[in-house]
Amino acid sequence: MRSQTFLRYLLLGGVLLFLGVFLLLPIGTVLGVGCDLQLIAELFRNRIYVEGLWNSFAIAVCTTGMVFVISLGLALLYDRYDFPGRSFANTALLIPMVLPPFVGALGFKQLLGYHGVLNALLGHLGFAPVDFLSGSGVFWAVCFIEALHLFPICYLNLVTALGNIDPAMTEAAANLGASPWQRFLKVRLPLMRSGILAGCSITLIWSFTELGTPLMFGFTRTTAVQVFNGLTELESNPIPYALVVIMLAVSALLYLIAKMALKGSPAASGGKGIVNAGSTTLHSWRKFLPGTAFGVVTFLAGLPHIALICCAFSTRYSGTVLPENFTFENFQLALSNALVLPSIANSLKYSLLAMFIACAAGLLVALAAVRWRLKGSGIADLLAMLPLAVPGVVFAFGFLGMSVKFSWASLLFDPVNNPVWLLSIAYAVRRIPYVVRAVSSGLEQTPEELENAARNFGAGPFRTLVKVTLPLVTANLIVGGLFAFSFSMLEVSDSLILAQKQEFFPITKALYELSQILGYGTGAASAFGVWAMFFLGATLCAGALLLGKKIGAVFKF
Amino acid sequence: MAEVSIEKLTKSYDGTVKVLDGVDLHINQGELVFLLGPSGCGKSTLLRILAGLVSADSGSIFFDGRDIISLPPEKRRAAMVFQNYALWPHLNVFENVAFGLRMDKVPRKEIEKRVMGSLEQVQMEKFIHSAVTQLSGGQQQRVALARALAVEPAVLLLDEPLSNLDANLRDTMRREIKRICTERKLTTLYVTHDRREALSMADRAGVMHNGKLAQIGTPDEIYNHPADGFTARFLGDVNLLPCGGGIRPERLKISEEQGKLRARLLERSFFGDSCEWLFELPGTGKVLVRELGAPVRSIGKEYFLDYDEAFLIPAPESGNEK
Repeated sequence: MRSQTFLRYLLLGGVLLFLGVFLLLPIGTVLGVGCDLQLIAELFRNRIYVEGLWNSFAIAVCTTGMVFVISLGLALLYDRYDFPGRSFANTALLIPMVLPPFVGALGFKQLLGYHGVLNALLGHLGFAPVDFLSGSGVFWAVCFIEALHLFPICYLNLVTALGNIDPAMTEAAANLGASPWQRFLKVRLPLMRSGILAGCSITLIWSFTELGTPLMFGFTRTTAVQVFNGLTELESNPIPYALVVIMLAVSALLYLIAKMALKGSPAASGGKGIVNAGSTTLHSWRKFLPGTAFGVVTFLAGLPHIALICCAFSTRYSGTVLPENFTFENFQLALSNALVLPSIANSLKYSLLAMFIACAAGLLVALAAVRWRLKGSGIADLLAMLPLAVPGVVFAFGFLGMSVKFSWASLLFDPVNNPVWLLSIAYAVRRIPYVVRAVSSGLEQTPEELENAARNFGAGPFRTLVKVTLPLVTANLIVGGLFAFSFSMLEVSDSLILAQKQEFFPITKALYELSQILGYGTGAASAFGVWAMFFLGATLCAGALLLGKKIGAVFKF
Repeated sequence: MAEVSIEKLTKSYDGTVKVLDGVDLHINQGELVFLLGPSGCGKSTLLRILAGLVSADSGSIFFDGRDIISLPPEKRRAAMVFQNYALWPHLNVFENVAFGLRMDKVPRKEIEKRVMGSLEQVQMEKFIHSAVTQLSGGQQQRVALARALAVEPAVLLLDEPLSNLDANLRDTMRREIKRICTERKLTTLYVTHDRREALSMADRAGVMHNGKLAQIGTPDEIYNHPADGFTARFLGDVNLLPCGGGIRPERLKISEEQGKLRARLLERSFFGDSCEWLFELPGTGKVLVRELGAPVRSIGKEYFLDYDEAFLIPAPESGNEK
């Protein structure tokens, strides 16, 4: 028994060491340079940086507002009504997640650009063209595209929260005379609080620190883009470090507020004996209304992707509603470009490594916290979830700083000459929360008595783990791994900042570089984006099939 | 089958809440011993310590004279039937029952034979290749029992195995378990809070209270001669008499002519084969009388109640109040 406990503590120690070195040290490195009061004061004296911070915050608030409205409406429809194509509609909502929003931005520019689809349509109707993406139009375009990309995360949280509400709660309210509106306001909404907070805080932090979308729209006055642009003059100008510290502080504050609010959240489920109240079936034409709402949102969310596909398959897509001249040329151009094929191989290599690292670390953290209940496992669990609250830009900067500051780090991951481990570990650290939550949720739903029974029938601790525990949480581990893999494949911040030589570019950096090439760049980048989109789509569908409704647990604190 | 000795077993949680407080218990080879007690009295903890799933703070456990307290669960050969059965949903019936035999590295032919034998004993051989998730509660309970029987354990541990079954199935399973334990001469420790289950099946039964074994004996001994008021009250209804003693409701006789007590009839509860009468004693409260059949009596009328002093038992702090 003693050696078994020792081994468990040894494993936990290993994970804590890993998280300490590759999670806390990068953050510490950024703080070490950026936590300079003079530097921060200088930052706040500079109108451009203050405007950047304000814009980032405004984007975060507006995006979260849009996300909340869209996802609450859809979650209520899904929970309440049974309608034709209900489960398909639920899966189709994941479509917006199949591309990082900055690739969606490519498609969106195709729709709303001066020579885009909407203006072509207006022209056909006899109206003068409007420059949708000038002035504040860019701001709203960034918010809109981020909202369309992020709302599924909030939606999944809300659907899970609604599913956990004991129907007896609302029935009791109805029994005491509450109207449907009062039942929603007084019972369901308060009981959904944990789901709302979890979904909205992830959206808020994500959109506050988003780099790719404003970058693609050329909206440079946001903190993340200012940090990215400051990379080239990092040695002479340490302001980006201070900007990253501010981003970290704001994100940490948002995370803490959400955590504190979650603490007082009431338990919605009634535990044993809950009977699902079932959904209401609508009749005649009304039965198509919920599905139509899902269809409209999915269509809107899918529009940038459709535009991207159109762009990828046409020789010219400018000033017309539909693309002209169907062609595979862009795909040929994309594949023949020296950037593309190596970037696919690179991304596969980095992402597979990241997946294995994230799965190993995530599984150990979940086991230590949920099953072994070791002292210190709470810290490991908290640390493992930290990446959800820390912007990707912060980590990327931290790793960059580490490679300069520590000689062992520059040996292990040299961003110029050998960034394989650098990118793999950077990807992995940021994907550990998905694995931890997926596996923890599996372990929590699996009665511990099943493992006790295995021990009781002669299996040692290792055989119990292999024969009982792991098979029972395999689906969860696969889903966590799939998420880790697919999100690593299309990771933006680390890729744009850490991959510095063309031969080491991952897909996203190659996509960005490709899109900047004048002439055939947009078409080739679109073709490359289409490939990436289907790749991530297939992964998410596999995840949704494996985990069903529980998929929302992956995006929880 | 082993002989089990438990000596001075203690267990506390957080160093303050004492769950077991120096428990001594001896179970003879092939004996079916029940542990009874209210929730939180420590009976399930005792069972889990025997299985090695919870560690004791101090004390010893001997199987056939060998101290097994420091052995891990997988080395104890104390097969347990869990309250929620704990059947592995990713394994079918055969694989569930064969699990312990595989761990024991039993040859394949032997595994097949023993799994079939165990399933036949619980009349589940038809379901050998079924998924456990497709079985009813009663069927799952039988598979859990077969799994425990297949490993031919030194001690069989049963943790409220019938609590999730409906009343009819519970009666059937009681008889099945009793038959199997007797036929196979299994040394068995059975934990329950159902006194009828314990009294009807046990060779001996112990009542636990506040982490201690308050009394252990045959069902007749503990029911008719309880050591204290708690045991008396836990095993059945007890009336507090004016003399300070207690008596079971079925030991009181109702008469219209004579008796030791005079009481006014307040209420009648009819159960088909029997009847319960609630009387009020002047000054000392209410008493319950249980009779077979259902004779005609008048509510509000005064009757005499009589009893044999040989049946007096320790009275709980409060008598039988309804």
